[in-house]
Amino acid sequence: MSRTLFEKVWSEHVVVVSPQGEELLYVDFNLINEGQSFLAFDQLRIEKRGCRRPAQHLAVTDHYLPTIDRARGTAGMANPEIRRVVEMLDENATEFALPHVGWHHRDQGIAHVIAPELGIAQPGMLITCNDSHTATNGAVGALAVPVGGGNQLRHVLATQTVWLKKPKTLRISIDGTLAEAVTAKDVILSIIRQIGVGGATGYAVEYAGSAIRSMTMEGRLTVCNMSIEAGARIGMIAPDDTTFQYLAGRASAPRGADWPRALAYWATLPSDAGATFDRELTFDAAKLAPMVTWGTSPEDCSPVDGAVPDPSAIGDADRRRHVERALDYMRLTPSTRLDQVAIDRVFIGSCTNSRIEDLRAAAAVLEGRRAVVPGMVSPGSSAVKRQAESEGLDRIFVAAGLEWRDSGCSMCNGSNGELVAPGERCASTTNRNFEGRQGRGAMTHIMSPAMVAAAAVFGRLADVRRLSDR
Amino acid sequence: MQPFTLLTAVAAPLEIAKIDTGMILPGRYMRRHRRPGHDYGEAFLYDLRFDDAGRPREDFVLNMPAYRDAKILVTDTDFGCGSSREGAAFAVLDYGLRALVGPSFGEIFQVNCIQNGILAVTVAERIVHDLWRQLRAAPGAEMSIDLPGQVLVAPDGTRHAFEISALRKHRLVHGIDDIDATLAYADAIESFERARHAAFPWLPTARRD
Repeated sequence: MSRTLFEKVWSEHVVVVSPQGEELLYVDFNLINEGQSFLAFDQLRIEKRGCRRPAQHLAVTDHYLPTIDRARGTAGMANPEIRRVVEMLDENATEFALPHVGWHHRDQGIAHVIAPELGIAQPGMLITCNDSHTATNGAVGALAVPVGGGNQLRHVLATQTVWLKKPKTLRISIDGTLAEAVTAKDVILSIIRQIGVGGATGYAVEYAGSAIRSMTMEGRLTVCNMSIEAGARIGMIAPDDTTFQYLAGRASAPRGADWPRALAYWATLPSDAGATFDRELTFDAAKLAPMVTWGTSPEDCSPVDGAVPDPSAIGDADRRRHVERALDYMRLTPSTRLDQVAIDRVFIGSCTNSRIEDLRAAAAVLEGRRAVVPGMVSPGSSAVKRQAESEGLDRIFVAAGLEWRDSGCSMCNGSNGELVAPGERCASTTNRNFEGRQGRGAMTHIMSPAMVAAAAVFGRLADVRRLSDR
Repeated sequence: MQPFTLLTAVAAPLEIAKIDTGMILPGRYMRRHRRPGHDYGEAFLYDLRFDDAGRPREDFVLNMPAYRDAKILVTDTDFGCGSSREGAAFAVLDYGLRALVGPSFGEIFQVNCIQNGILAVTVAERIVHDLWRQLRAAPGAEMSIDLPGQVLVAPDGTRHAFEISALRKHRLVHGIDDIDATLAYADAIESFERARHAAFPWLPTARRD
């Protein structure tokens, strides 16, 4: 019988099916960040439970780390609450004997950047993490599922399993060739714009089509990363030669005689030709354009040559109400051209767009130019940082007037105190533009790294294809 | 986990779409431990409930006296989308709510709610609109939710059936914690694990260094 990629990986992990129909799945690897994982450890301590398989977990400090002044250690963290969260993961990793990439570790970085980078994320695996962007790891053909940081994480630690209701399947095919300056970020934003933030709720998404096939691994990671912004907990891409070449030689990738065995298994995973999905959507890659968000939900986006919508022209009452509220929060006037919206700062980073190709794209725009607004660049991992510095990208950012920081989640959600000020407008390579996401009263416009760089140069939202105007 | 069977309580209409988990529990509150007397209730929808000076916004529905004892919230589309923070479910619970009724929920949030004893049920948008209308017309009106019977009773007595996963219903009704249920399968996990490691010896492991 023909099966999808998702069905193949799912069925390999089913331990039992409960009498009520939910399934208990085995977790091959779990990533733990400091964001609220202390709630899970608190509970395990009370219950006197330990971690079943410590070697199949990796604690990663990413959300609360400062991206500046790290040499001073925790003493450099002014906010005692933030410092405490970082210390708690250190303590919990020690107490529960968990491997830990702490803040001075050579591999330090954002969990969803380092898991593929270290070769921990591999095709056919089931991976969990107490973070909604866990689906990022699905880009290598893994089934990567976000779990809650309290009870669900506690369950994974104690049992190495997770209860899941089998989702329906949705294949999103993007066929054709992307136009110049149209990136993986624009692909996923275009999808979210069309189907909405709840459009894929209840589905495991497989991204397919020639535009995905010809995308680099890093582009695929960006696409899968934002599956949750369309409502899907799971996003996957079939492993292929791009995947295998990406994984070859990475620290935790199969070695020696295991490598050909793994390759042979991985090659069986792509969806069979006759496999059927519960739902299918198709996009024409050639019709996609560089996107920016204007509102307070990732679906509130438009090609950059568009305008702020006019609520009075929206027929659907619920949608009109949302847009009115969004424009009020974003302090935008209906019908304003998007390239006329002035910004106050930029941020380049986050698990969505902080890999080396992202930094290269932003640096290519900024080389020989000046940013007219302040901003910072936070590489997705310490390895990405070292690579960027070896290529001289850091000097380009600094020469343009931006700050070159250390790696962490940083201003994507400001857990570490690096916030956008109230009333400030930020062009950002991140994944969410909800009210208050980057700080109370902060206004976020999300877009690709090159588009953020262009916005920095113009001091307003700008079309990277019109850079020569400057 | 507190079992959930029948609930009759004041319901409040929250007519704002796409409230994400970062609005339900703002990030700055996520650093706190959660203990009796020091819970997440205060943080629940903080920036919607309070202005920049920390004063309650009088026009916000949950600040109106009629809804002070609300245990049910009738939400708008995509309530709880976004971040997976389980603290958002704790904030709902600690604020005093036991049930959420809405046209759609963020999936991670909905699972987090149900695993923490909060019933988050999805009903058709037209039913939600009708509930809002009734709750606006009679502030402080009560609704009932019968989980074993899978029925929701509107203030005017109209009954609406709702769907819920059989497993989640079973565990909510009996207040069964997931780990306890899982440990009944300890042998199955053990043998599965052995077979998996034998078949896929290259699966990654990490070590402490």
